[in-house]
Amino acid sequence: MKMEDVLEQAAVMQNEYLKKYKSDGGRVIGYACIATPVEIVEAAGMLPYRLRALGNNRTEIADAHLSRFNCSFCRSVLQLGLDGTYDFLDGLIETNGCDHIRGMFENWQYVNPSEFFHYVRVPHVMTEDSLEYFTNDLRLWSEALQKHFDVAISEDDLWSAIRQQDRIRAKLKKVTEMRERDEPAFTGTEVMAAFLLGTAMMSTDFEKVLDRLIEQRENHKITDIKARLLLGGSATDEVEFLEMIESQGGHISADNLCYGSRAFWGREAGESGDPYAVLAGMYLENLPCPRMFVEFPYRRDLMISSVERAKTDGVILVHNKFCDVHGVDNVQLRLALEKRGIPVLSLEKEYGATADLGRMKTRVQAFLERIAG
Amino acid sequence: MEINQQGLFDRVAKIMELIERMQYKLSDEELEGLMNFLPPDSRHSLSAFFESRFRDTSIIFLKAISNWILRARIAPEQGKKAIIVPFNFPVEFIHGFSKAYPITSEVLSTLGVVALEGQGERYWDMAMGLGLPDHICSSNTIELGSMLGSVDFKPQAIVSAAPGGCDVNAKIHEFVSHYLDIPQYILQKPPDDSERGMEAYIKYTNTLISELEEFIGEELSEDRLRSVLGKANRCTELYYELWDLHKARPSPVPNIFSLYIYAIRFSIWGTDEAITALEAMVDLCKKRLEAKAYPAKEERARTLWVYTSYYFDFPNLFNWMEESGYSHLGDGLDLFFPQPVDLSSMDTMVEGLATAAWNMPMTRQVGGESMSRQWTEDVVHSARELNADCAIYCGHHSCKQTWSVVSILRKELMDRLGVPLLILQGDSWIRKMTPISVIQHEIEEFVNNVVSSKKKTKRKLRKRRQNNNQQQGE
Amino acid sequence: MLFAGIDVGSLTAEAVVLNSGGIISYESMNVLPNPVDSAHEVMGRLLKKQGLGWDDLHYTVSTGYGREKVQEEGMAQQNISEISCHGFGAYTENLEVRTIVDIGGQDAKVIKLNGNGELADFVMNDKCAAGTGHFLEIMCKALGVTLDEIGPMSLSSRKPVRMSNRCSIYVETEVIHYLQRGESKVDLAAGINKAMAERVVALVRRVKVEERVMMTGGVAKNIAVRKELERMLGTRMLDSKIDPQIIGAYGAALLAQREGAR
Repeated sequence: MKMEDVLEQAAVMQNEYLKKYKSDGGRVIGYACIATPVEIVEAAGMLPYRLRALGNNRTEIADAHLSRFNCSFCRSVLQLGLDGTYDFLDGLIETNGCDHIRGMFENWQYVNPSEFFHYVRVPHVMTEDSLEYFTNDLRLWSEALQKHFDVAISEDDLWSAIRQQDRIRAKLKKVTEMRERDEPAFTGTEVMAAFLLGTAMMSTDFEKVLDRLIEQRENHKITDIKARLLLGGSATDEVEFLEMIESQGGHISADNLCYGSRAFWGREAGESGDPYAVLAGMYLENLPCPRMFVEFPYRRDLMISSVERAKTDGVILVHNKFCDVHGVDNVQLRLALEKRGIPVLSLEKEYGATADLGRMKTRVQAFLERIAG
Repeated sequence: MEINQQGLFDRVAKIMELIERMQYKLSDEELEGLMNFLPPDSRHSLSAFFESRFRDTSIIFLKAISNWILRARIAPEQGKKAIIVPFNFPVEFIHGFSKAYPITSEVLSTLGVVALEGQGERYWDMAMGLGLPDHICSSNTIELGSMLGSVDFKPQAIVSAAPGGCDVNAKIHEFVSHYLDIPQYILQKPPDDSERGMEAYIKYTNTLISELEEFIGEELSEDRLRSVLGKANRCTELYYELWDLHKARPSPVPNIFSLYIYAIRFSIWGTDEAITALEAMVDLCKKRLEAKAYPAKEERARTLWVYTSYYFDFPNLFNWMEESGYSHLGDGLDLFFPQPVDLSSMDTMVEGLATAAWNMPMTRQVGGESMSRQWTEDVVHSARELNADCAIYCGHHSCKQTWSVVSILRKELMDRLGVPLLILQGDSWIRKMTPISVIQHEIEEFVNNVVSSKKKTKRKLRKRRQNNNQQQGE
Repeated sequence: MLFAGIDVGSLTAEAVVLNSGGIISYESMNVLPNPVDSAHEVMGRLLKKQGLGWDDLHYTVSTGYGREKVQEEGMAQQNISEISCHGFGAYTENLEVRTIVDIGGQDAKVIKLNGNGELADFVMNDKCAAGTGHFLEIMCKALGVTLDEIGPMSLSSRKPVRMSNRCSIYVETEVIHYLQRGESKVDLAAGINKAMAERVVALVRRVKVEERVMMTGGVAKNIAVRKELERMLGTRMLDSKIDPQIIGAYGAALLAQREGAR
């Protein structure tokens, strides 16, 4: 698969691989949030599919259930859940990522219940007790999955899936390292597309895609860059948003995005132990998401180290309108970054609104003019 | 380019000093003299409390609250740790420590809105000036904005009980703790209605106690806790007396008492002042019940508010409603359904605290696995018990949880009880979003067109049934 | 050599031509539906007035919401954001300026500069009418006065009427209500200008304001709003020697001069 193919396949809800996988009898389980240990789905022999809306801006069905004070990303996803687009899913996993996501799932199940639906309860604070709770919750999830689909998940299956995901994580890190080079091998848009594709394929096959991309791009150099940027913020799978930034001369050399490196950064399972405990620890500890209400120092330090490592000239922090967790966290981050002399552009945007793209473009252009000179 | 930087807490405390000096009985002339000292916004808001039909009780209530504020102000001088808590955290927890004092962000914000000239807008603007988004919650951001942007009373720690129940509440308290560099202690709620969830919650509660003991430098004393929770139990009894009084037609409970009940819950529950205030409220309502006293010619609608009310214009909401014949049976913040705590041991009392925290408004309704299920059950139960004709959702824009599922609540209410729900939009603490005149208009239209026609239909159906029964009898 | 700036906004379009001696001419008009037509028309008028042709312009920069299309059509060599253009234009006007409050017909921005006149920070409102010229337009219509009148007429008010709402729609209703109640137009105008200034200050506060402050854009011509802002910010604002409405186009022309020289 070449990069053009990755970009093309990442831009559709059901890529060709997925369609074939389904027609071959494969099962697909949808999930929303990076706190979901996808290893459990893969260990059950199923494909974990990260819910997305890919910039869908039609929400008229969703708006009858969620309100206009709810995040437009969630409304966009709900729309697709209610209009039949997501009928290919064989099950759904809810996580309490944020209040908007909770509302999205609740309305989805109220109006169009899934055959298999399970709630994975992710603590907001990492303590010994909450880790124990989460470990047990993962076990309950695994049991529910096994019972409903009449499959068995052994510890070996789980360890196999964990090691497979570890390899993916390592290769994704390699891709981000190549993106961070002084003369980057990938654009931010390309890497985002790869991330998206990876969450709509079985990891064993995605690994091959990654291997090809890494090989193809090993000596590739992108040189015409006005300014190097780190992009962070709310859930967005809008590749065209990154394209807009990069079309003006910015290069997204690093990211701190929910659909980006947050999903794998700092996660490494190790070799042994109770796989549920290992997964719980890996997914809950150092979860770089603002829904973790005591870990701002970790998130701040992670962002600063990314800025330094990727030698970015500035940071763009975006949040979807009504996203409180990012809306507030971005302010804390901005203050901390500016204290260190790192220029920041804060953006509040509507998800999927083409009118908003124009507004964002003006701001990004001005920011690039500021930091690039 | 300096603007007036005096903080909300200080300014409210000064108004509370006036209340402290007030007599328990005030004539109309004495009240007029006192009110003339106050600037227009303060005078307007506070006038709602001093309606002659419940003035004496209001004074008792206001003195209880002013006592709480003024004690909070001198707490640090007395060697006590002043701890900011959100409204959904049971204050008796902190009252249980002799060296700590709870200050509730949302109650402070509301007092600012009620008592201050310009209400709380200046402090909201301070928060916005820092770049905080305008879709966060004014209920706590007004007071917390004051802490961030002005010369204001600074607490020494924050307890955050919103994780699991409310992202925005949790987030703003987290922000303040970092900005002011003060510690934050969390009580997180798992979205889990099972026994397993409650077991985890009790563990988290125990952890919180240990953390607070270390911070405050005091072990939670069983005797002191027993005393505080004993008083909390008495408050619980009085809560249910008021609940039962609400059932009468017309409601003998003044609309504004809905607010008093939860203001007490969120600030002084478990204290003598709380008991005094609640007893006074019960006494007044019993007298009104006996006298069949009601401010309007007829009770035209019994409204259950399913979320919060509006706090930026008390006379034009609570009092206006009552004088128009619309009884306010309570709102979502009243739905905390307290349970008496078993005082026999430290374990039972800690479990009681955990149960109280679990059932605090918002945590109880939207902190579970489903954001709509418990909320719906509570509203259906309350509407049924209190004989509500209709429900009103005040639609504060920052409440993403309730806004996510109000469509479900509306459907369930109608399907199960035939009770219509009015959905309003406005900011409960900031008058500039939706003017009170618009809210009044919408309520009137709702009552005149929806509620009245439902009542007419019910009466017609009842009469038709009676006629049918009669005919069958013949 | 001649350098030009074209600023196509959502309500008005401006063109400025300058040389090493300064501004030669400028032109302003209400926009046409198509931004390319607006650019063509406004620059066309200017060039005709000066007896010049498009070829006489050595380098042109376009700015404003229509900037990209104007460049794509070949009327400008480069497009630069209106934020940078306003900043640079104001700085060239007066080297003391560090904060620019630009209130246009449909948007508002606050721009902060460093000591070299370079962009240091900015914040924009282009979503909500409150705090933009559009708010004043709506209120003028309700009051039955023109935009030119509403500022000066309110200066004699001793008791501005307080507007208690934030949303333009509700404020409009309030104004009508007060008029029916017999409130004086002078006091209402003063209240409207004060409300306008309050909304602008809410935006200004998001940037750490530094002295000195300059107001640009069409609303800068409203003396009452300006005075209120000065009072609220506790500072005397710098005057602009040129029409504040053309600062964006002027900045664009200056940047054209800089870029063209490279």
